[in-house]
Amino acid sequence: MTGRMRRILLNRFVVAPVVVAAVVLVWNAYVASHADGIVTGHVVDRFGRPVADATVRMMEQNFTTNSQRGTTRTDANGAFRFQENRSHRIQLRAEKPGAGRSNQQAVRLYFRSQHVDLTEPLVLDGGAK
Amino acid sequence: MAIGLTRATLPQTAAVDLRTYARGAKRRRELLLVWVFLLPSLTVFFLYRILPLLWNVALSFQQFSLFRGTRWIGLEHYVEMWQDDVFWTSLWNTLIFLLSAPVGILLALAVSLMVNADIRGRNVYRTIVFLSYPLMTVAVGIIWRWMYDEKVGLFNFVLRKLGLIDAPLAFLQSFELVLPSVLLANIWQILGFYMIVLLAGLQNIPQNLYEAASIDGASRWQQFVKITLPMLRPALFLAFVIGIMTSITSFDLVYVMTQGGPSHSSELLVTYIYKAAFELSKLDYAAALTVVQFLLLVTLTWIGNRMSGGDAGAVEREG
Amino acid sequence: MNRPKPSRSDPMHRYPRWPLHVMLVAISFAMLLPFYWVLKTSLTGENIFVYPPSILPHHAQPFYYVDVWYFIPFARFLLNSVIVSVLAIVANVVFNAMAAFALSKSFPGRGWIITLLLSCMMIPFQTTIVPAYLITGKLGLLNSYLGLALPTFSTIVCIFVYKASFDAIPRSLIDAARIDGLSELRILMRIMLPLSTSAIATNVILAFIWSWNNFLWPLIVVRDQAMQTLPLGLSRFLSDHENTTGALYAFCIMVLAPGIALFLMAQKQFIRGLTSGATKG
Repeated sequence: MTGRMRRILLNRFVVAPVVVAAVVLVWNAYVASHADGIVTGHVVDRFGRPVADATVRMMEQNFTTNSQRGTTRTDANGAFRFQENRSHRIQLRAEKPGAGRSNQQAVRLYFRSQHVDLTEPLVLDGGAK
Repeated sequence: MAIGLTRATLPQTAAVDLRTYARGAKRRRELLLVWVFLLPSLTVFFLYRILPLLWNVALSFQQFSLFRGTRWIGLEHYVEMWQDDVFWTSLWNTLIFLLSAPVGILLALAVSLMVNADIRGRNVYRTIVFLSYPLMTVAVGIIWRWMYDEKVGLFNFVLRKLGLIDAPLAFLQSFELVLPSVLLANIWQILGFYMIVLLAGLQNIPQNLYEAASIDGASRWQQFVKITLPMLRPALFLAFVIGIMTSITSFDLVYVMTQGGPSHSSELLVTYIYKAAFELSKLDYAAALTVVQFLLLVTLTWIGNRMSGGDAGAVEREG
Repeated sequence: MNRPKPSRSDPMHRYPRWPLHVMLVAISFAMLLPFYWVLKTSLTGENIFVYPPSILPHHAQPFYYVDVWYFIPFARFLLNSVIVSVLAIVANVVFNAMAAFALSKSFPGRGWIITLLLSCMMIPFQTTIVPAYLITGKLGLLNSYLGLALPTFSTIVCIFVYKASFDAIPRSLIDAARIDGLSELRILMRIMLPLSTSAIATNVILAFIWSWNNFLWPLIVVRDQAMQTLPLGLSRFLSDHENTTGALYAFCIMVLAPGIALFLMAQKQFIRGLTSGATKG
């Protein structure tokens, strides 16, 4: 590489946009490969036991409104799964008649439809309300 | 085959005509090129500086409507302006806002003297102080607006923590405090610019003057007053003139922080012009206001120029 | 403070350095405090709703930035700003260099043109908004990229920057080129511009900053939300959502970042451009 070419290539006005472009590309690739819209988690009662057949509601949130996007039920192990989350900011709430409801759990993602497996369970507070 | 036309063989006058004709054609080509090269810039300046200036003056004497056309009405707008309380308030506020020029320059003088001293890291300090100037004024306005917030703002928090006030102050909603608050934000943003101009002036002062004065036994204060200040005069007045211009035309900060409120207590001429033209749709009245604003600007700049000994562009030529 | 220490390089100025550092650090603190505060809030959302605020950030999370990216057409605003700025920069470099080149020759009327330009510097943009709006309307350029960029296509400050740079080129070079038969345009492009790279850099930086930060003109000219530039988008967001979300401050940071990055990379050109005449053209 000649000296002049080296000076041009290492000029900060060339390096900076190239680095930015590279980061953008890598990030977009990552997003594309992980944006499947799947949200999984599980529901437990206040004793920590998994709750089967609880209704989980997913709501999409923006600055001013909350709108419902889907519901599903937990399976025998208390796990649930949403397939078509299109948002980056959702709220989940679990409910089972007789076992109470959980609080409204906000889930904020890095990009839309990010694949997320929630580690913290939704806890039903128990008791009919 | 050589025809044998040489200077010696051509009649003398014909040779001279040939040369001058050739030079003339070349000269004409050069003139054409000059004007072609000047044309784009001159068009832009004509369209967006000269023509608007003249059109403003014309509009200020007309009644103008986009639908009904124009009609000459003489001084009616100026009479309306004379009786308009908001105009006088905004004019007064603009004059107060102009204070940000000398105050800012004094502060910048202190800072630039410190930065100019032979200390480690002066470039870092210079960068930090200058950082606020190239920022988007809208964002700066939002940040300061929130720092002044009555309930959650930083300033109220610090003042209460320090015990200086008991109840939170509504900086941007109070009639007395709003203009100084906006002034402070403006000074924060423009300090770096003044500092750069003054630094350039400081660095143009030859060091041997100070050395000679030291040898002669002058104290540092004397050196400052007798050497630094006089040699900084062009830079100081350049900063002052530019400061006047930017203060009179400082729209973004007021629009974002207060919208001219509360009740026009922070209304500047330039924001009133914008409102009259684009919110009240009184383009002709806005033109009259603009004429007054421009006259104010020209007067103050002329005064500033005269006070500097005539040539505020001196720094530009030297630097 | 009792015994002055000799300075490192100048034996004439003996005075202690640490008070200077203390004062400069205090000033730096005052200048940087707003940045820190807005950065902290954009990362934590603290002290928008809760008082008293905490000094250090707790629970930093980047999700307000995600909100800004998706809930606001930030990419669109960014694109608009970039297009307008690129238009302004290219036009500026081309037109200003041409005009300065023309001014570097002597021709009848040159003095008048220079006086005219200097007096145009006295006409700030804010005193032209009403007719500029009408003219842009008559040209049919309202709400368009060209209309947004057109008033900034040429600036007098930059013309004089080029002129100073061109005047510094030795006449012998230009005369030699003329004798070699180069056309004027070629002389400009092959000789004068390559020797004026710092003037070009200054022009690029100044044109970028003025068009990027320009708020009043887009406010007047833009009608659709899709054509808004970043400052306009930011101000509309403020008036829609006021102080209710940390996303406003994330928006601020995202808007300030390019300007700060560019400034830090190009400080010298910036400062040189500003000290050589420094009025908003």
